[in-house]
Amino acid sequence: MKWLAFTVAMVMGTSVIAEEPLQYNRDIRPILADMCFACHGPDSAARKADLRLDKRDMAMSSKAILPGDPAQSEVIRRILSNDADEMMPPPSTRKVLSAQQKATLQRWVKEGAEYQAHWSFIAPTRGELPVAKNAAWVRNPIDRFTLARMEAEGLAPAPEADKRTLARRLSLDLTGLPPSPELVENFVNDASPDAYEKLVDTFMKSPQWGEHRGRYWLDAARYADTHGIHFDNFREVWAYREWVINAYNRNLPFDQFTIEQLAGDLLPEATLDQKIASGFNRCNITTSEGGTIPEEYYVLYTRDRTETASLVWMGLTTGCAVCHDHKFDPVSQKEFYELAAFFNNTTQNAMDGNVKDTPPILTVPAVADRVRFGQMDGLIVAAKQAVEQRKQTGRSEFDRWLAEVKPETATVSLPESGLQFRLPLDEGQGDALKYFVPGETRETKLTKPVEWKPGQTGAKAINLNQGGPAEFATVGDFDKDQPFSCGAWVQLPANDGAGAIVARMDDGNDYRGWDLWVEGRRVGTHIIHKWQDDALKVVSKNQVKANEWAHVLVTYDGSMKAAGAKVYINGELQQTNVQADGLKNTTKTEVPFKLGQRHNTSPLPGVTINDVRVYDRALTDAEVAALAKTSRFAALLAKAAAERTPAENDELYQWWLTAKDQPYQTAVVDVQKLERELADIKARGTIAHIMNEKPEPAMAFVLFRGEYDKRRDQVAPATPAALPPFPAEIPKSRLGLAKWLLSPEHPLTARVTVNRSWQELFGQGLVRTAGDFGVAGELPSHPELLDWLAIDFREHQWDVKRFYKQLVMSATYRQSAVTTKDKLEKDPSNRLLSRGPRFRMDAEMVRDYALAASGLLVTKIGGPSVKPYQPDGVWEAVAMIGSNTRDYRADKGENLYRRSMYTFWKRSAPPASMDIFNAPAREVCTVRRERTNTPLQALVTLNDPQMVEAAKALAQKTIKDAKPTQAERIDFLARQLIARPLRAEEQVIVQQSLAELAAYYIAHPEDAKALLGVGEMAIDASMNPHELAAWTMLTNELMNLDEVLNK
Amino acid sequence: MSIFDEYRNTLTRRHFCQQGTHLLGGAALASLMASGKPLTAATVGDAAKEHPAHIASRAKHVIYLHMVGGPSQMDLYDYKPVMQEWFDKDLPESIRMGQRLTTMTSGQKRFPIAPSKYKFAQHGECGMWMSEMLPYTAKMADDMVFIRSMNTEAINHEPAISYMQTGNQNTGRPCLGSWTSYGLGSLNEDLPTFVVLVAKPSNQEQVQAISARLWGSGYLPGEHAGVSFRSGPDPILYINNPPGVPKDIRRKTLDGLKALNELTYQQLGDPETNTRIQQYELAYRMQASVPDLVDLKDETENTEKLYGPDIHKPGSFAHTVLLARRMVERGVRFVQIYHNNWDHHGNLVGRMKDQTRDVDQPCYGLVQDLKARGLLDDTLVIWGGEFGRTIYSQGGVSKENYGRDHHPRCFTMWMAGGGSKGGTIYGETDDFSYNIVKDPVHIRDFHATVLHLLGFDPEAFTYKFQGLDQRLIGVEAAHVIPALIA
Repeated sequence: MKWLAFTVAMVMGTSVIAEEPLQYNRDIRPILADMCFACHGPDSAARKADLRLDKRDMAMSSKAILPGDPAQSEVIRRILSNDADEMMPPPSTRKVLSAQQKATLQRWVKEGAEYQAHWSFIAPTRGELPVAKNAAWVRNPIDRFTLARMEAEGLAPAPEADKRTLARRLSLDLTGLPPSPELVENFVNDASPDAYEKLVDTFMKSPQWGEHRGRYWLDAARYADTHGIHFDNFREVWAYREWVINAYNRNLPFDQFTIEQLAGDLLPEATLDQKIASGFNRCNITTSEGGTIPEEYYVLYTRDRTETASLVWMGLTTGCAVCHDHKFDPVSQKEFYELAAFFNNTTQNAMDGNVKDTPPILTVPAVADRVRFGQMDGLIVAAKQAVEQRKQTGRSEFDRWLAEVKPETATVSLPESGLQFRLPLDEGQGDALKYFVPGETRETKLTKPVEWKPGQTGAKAINLNQGGPAEFATVGDFDKDQPFSCGAWVQLPANDGAGAIVARMDDGNDYRGWDLWVEGRRVGTHIIHKWQDDALKVVSKNQVKANEWAHVLVTYDGSMKAAGAKVYINGELQQTNVQADGLKNTTKTEVPFKLGQRHNTSPLPGVTINDVRVYDRALTDAEVAALAKTSRFAALLAKAAAERTPAENDELYQWWLTAKDQPYQTAVVDVQKLERELADIKARGTIAHIMNEKPEPAMAFVLFRGEYDKRRDQVAPATPAALPPFPAEIPKSRLGLAKWLLSPEHPLTARVTVNRSWQELFGQGLVRTAGDFGVAGELPSHPELLDWLAIDFREHQWDVKRFYKQLVMSATYRQSAVTTKDKLEKDPSNRLLSRGPRFRMDAEMVRDYALAASGLLVTKIGGPSVKPYQPDGVWEAVAMIGSNTRDYRADKGENLYRRSMYTFWKRSAPPASMDIFNAPAREVCTVRRERTNTPLQALVTLNDPQMVEAAKALAQKTIKDAKPTQAERIDFLARQLIARPLRAEEQVIVQQSLAELAAYYIAHPEDAKALLGVGEMAIDASMNPHELAAWTMLTNELMNLDEVLNK
Repeated sequence: MSIFDEYRNTLTRRHFCQQGTHLLGGAALASLMASGKPLTAATVGDAAKEHPAHIASRAKHVIYLHMVGGPSQMDLYDYKPVMQEWFDKDLPESIRMGQRLTTMTSGQKRFPIAPSKYKFAQHGECGMWMSEMLPYTAKMADDMVFIRSMNTEAINHEPAISYMQTGNQNTGRPCLGSWTSYGLGSLNEDLPTFVVLVAKPSNQEQVQAISARLWGSGYLPGEHAGVSFRSGPDPILYINNPPGVPKDIRRKTLDGLKALNELTYQQLGDPETNTRIQQYELAYRMQASVPDLVDLKDETENTEKLYGPDIHKPGSFAHTVLLARRMVERGVRFVQIYHNNWDHHGNLVGRMKDQTRDVDQPCYGLVQDLKARGLLDDTLVIWGGEFGRTIYSQGGVSKENYGRDHHPRCFTMWMAGGGSKGGTIYGETDDFSYNIVKDPVHIRDFHATVLHLLGFDPEAFTYKFQGLDQRLIGVEAAHVIPALIA
């Protein structure tokens, strides 16, 4: 193929070169794709007149095209026609062929109407390296390709950038951070021939290498810290992020990197790390919206995984084939679902449950706990066996007890000790409620309308729809260290409502007090001095069934720890999610105890309630079970022995064990101790979201128009026919798919991958549409170079560090970014690589740059996500009440200064300052970020407290560390920020700014003080406030330099 | 990307120049650029008029009031008197016709009908039946276009809101506001083109999720994303200078910055450096414009009379619609307002009074105020949710209170101004407000009609993405509804 001429034409915008024969890929396909293929292309459903123009034989057999004879070719007749009924494209499409396009198509038919396969579906080949004239410029093979091309275009490379610029460029490209001034000076002064290479190696060895490379990958993996839809609650998935960073740092070859992420769980003897890697396919958005039809979301999750894998490894927009055959690329709808079948076999539930640990998950214990963690399962099994054993051996004792027990004396005792308050709520009518406090029965008036429904502990039960109808001044007045229990029978409606069953809580005063709480039919409690810094909150992991009676109860042991608050549903102790765990001060409040809501807010609409009880002590498990099952046991015991069924006797036996049998209770406590220890180990570690395959073979359905409920044929996993065949010897699983992607015959994987790397360093890929290598994507600017890189990468065992090193060692990369008028005209967007890369840094780098240059950056690697400064209300504006990512509370201390890749990423409201700089929402896979230049970005770097504080820190460092003259200080500042001293004309401007700022802050000490109060960092006592303020604003000015914001 | 695009991206100010070519014919833009004149909104507007795809239009601005959760049509606008006889009777299967239900009520054994407890009366020349809960809105019936036959396929909030806003149930497509920004561009450089405000409902019993993705630009260029406007001291994120930095000190640092950046441009010749210099100046002017925009001191007593006392409560619906009017006056193209808590699964009666108190008078005030200022002809006001609600009650039913589940098959929206035909009542539903019996308006028909009012041929208003001409109205047939247009 004559790549050169063809890409010249593409880049330069001229179309057909007159003297040369037309080429299908260059000249014809773009016209046909734009004008014809939508109706006469691969999509069989949209095809009109059964005519296909994307295949030569079909176009010929239908006589649409007669090679060599435009006059007899129907296509040509139609495009030239002026008859509205005949002309093509039809007027209704509003597509119009230009006269030149018509002439081109005519000429092509005349020349024989030759077709070509789409370039990216043909495996790359390694040709001869091009010969360039200026051989001295060439440093490695990359340069031969770029230089030959420049020479053909009459362009010359830019001179090599100066050493400071190179040091800064390398540092930013290899670590994502600016270089330290010392490192720059060392490099400048190192005259050895391998000084540059040594610098490259230094950067690649630093752990920041893995962070920086990983950061790009996380866009592709759509990594974020929340589920994405509806509640958009927290998802604990950072173990995967850490895996990515480590993978780059240990230079895991890209083939292994691919296999472990697509199929780590399917590897034989998969290690903990390999399973964590499979979390790539768990990063998609999920829902738990009440009312959701599961199948609809199963389909969406599978579709997302299929599209993501296609985009990341093959650069294909297979999503276009969800509803119909792809309009341009050889991916039929059936083939899409065959590809989807690989991902359609997971045990994951459609509903994420709004919990942070949606199964399948894996515990990732802290390193120190790993041995003990390995033993825990066995210990717990043994302890449970002891419980089971007692179940066997206790039966005879129980039988004796049951034989002797007299029905009239055998009433099951309900816990009475410590009962502070009981509210039956079974009146069924009237405007008053009776209630019991120790020694007294009282009555209170209803203050709001209520309804009555069939009851659980009485004939009727109260139903609330208009807020809390009653209050009780003296009930539940507990302090932070006072144990208590509170429970009730409830029936909850099938919605996502959140609110209080009962509460003594002053919501107008930072929510002081406590409540018995429901959110999304999960039960829990808040015990609060001040929400949420000084508070406990636990909520059950399980939901109460909708529209069924359930007994719910919480106990609190006064320990001021979340572990001291337990939740029971129907007498069973629940696993809980801890959402706040730091109670320190009093929880007493003057507001009354209220039924059905907190003092002012949080009613629980639609709830039906019976028998509210408050105890001033923590009930035991057995007591709670008794409460939940009382009526049942009383009824069973009241029956004559002969009338009881064996199942009922078993039920009674179970109750007897928990309530009356000491050995059983001891055995149960042993299990509980071990389970608590395990819980503690888990709490110290984290979890990983992993893939887990169902036992049955994978399959999928073709879905008519992509709609989940319009199933058509069932299909098995397979790959598109236009790509290399799937070898028979590898399994039709995600593991097999990964291996297929990595096979040497595969035309896309290596090309797409090296193109993305190129894009990271040069700002745009050799194929600029990094996510579309199909027919609708752009053609490569340097096709032979792309092929050479792809083969080189694969043949060097997919060695990632080696590959990047090769790129940065090239002369092409080392060019200065200086642009001339001539180059701007011939090569406006530097597609010909006739100058060095220069572009605005990504969002994370902008912030990290400021933190690093100012010395505030905390370089710790990995760990959970952090919450740096963010303006108030960004989360609250979009989040649901009850979402655990509704209140953004900035962290304190070092978490304010971590690298931006660790910033907590809430999908429905991504980090505000990064969002403005084109960071994606991470809802779907992104392989190419936009790069806009807007006024809102200027506002971030000028005014974000994070940036202002960084300016303050750097100003203070400058005053402290530089020699105490103005010139020395300015020089120090410049070296920190732009890795070079200022030129004379720049110094004049900077000095003038400084003089104006200094004069202002001397005259306005109160403004100096206000400015220096920005950010948590305290200023040094030795600082002169007006001087520091002036330098802070000067630093702020310089941190906004185009040169700082650009790589 | 063509050579033409290359130039747009590198040599011109992106803010204005990524207008769709459906408006600006390549020739028109090329001649503008060749003339060397700076592209301003006015020149863009002129060019637009010349293009055949741009129809003569009335609407230059949109204020879209989205009621999150899905308001109950039969308690507000879709009068169903026959239902009084059906209290607590089951919805006939002949009406439900296998309609898929959310899993919140699909397990329900009965579907007892809950007639609206509200009184209805006819209003205006058009004789629209409206609920007693909307006394103010009722006064302007003849300014409004009522569509009682809106319908969608989505039955849960997330996909339904996404559908209503972006024309697709899956996330990631550009919304109506982004399309408008892309198509019409800016009228005031000092303010964003597309603004989003999230109003705080006074009742928050069951607030639904929304997401910033709803105003993302999708595959359109990033500058067409909505800019979130907030109540409180920083209406636009990071708009305020740091404490202790007055305007003139900021100006001095910007002067220094500009001088230094100009040196960088001379040194390296990167056109993006020039763009950046301009963006900083724009940011500075925005800092001056925004405080003026949000400062209500130039409003008269009459404003409060019109919109109600809540205009003094920052973040209230009344306050946000007043801001919307001020934005439109200043040239903002598209103002998207979200008002939440319309998801009345339970306690509909308890919550409806708060909901309607929040929006009834402000909606009236907004439309009347726009009219009085001569802005209503130019400004299309849209009110509606993402779906409707069921005639049957979710959970129990009493004459005094009930709850309603999501209902996609019919719901009511209204429009006013912007070339819409006031006093129109369009579409009819059956006695149960369950199925449409006349003139259905699907979301894509609605979008097509709005685009038409904005001056676009909805079929031709496209953006190339993944090789396809992407449209707001999607691929299925969408119809502009002439009856809705003046």
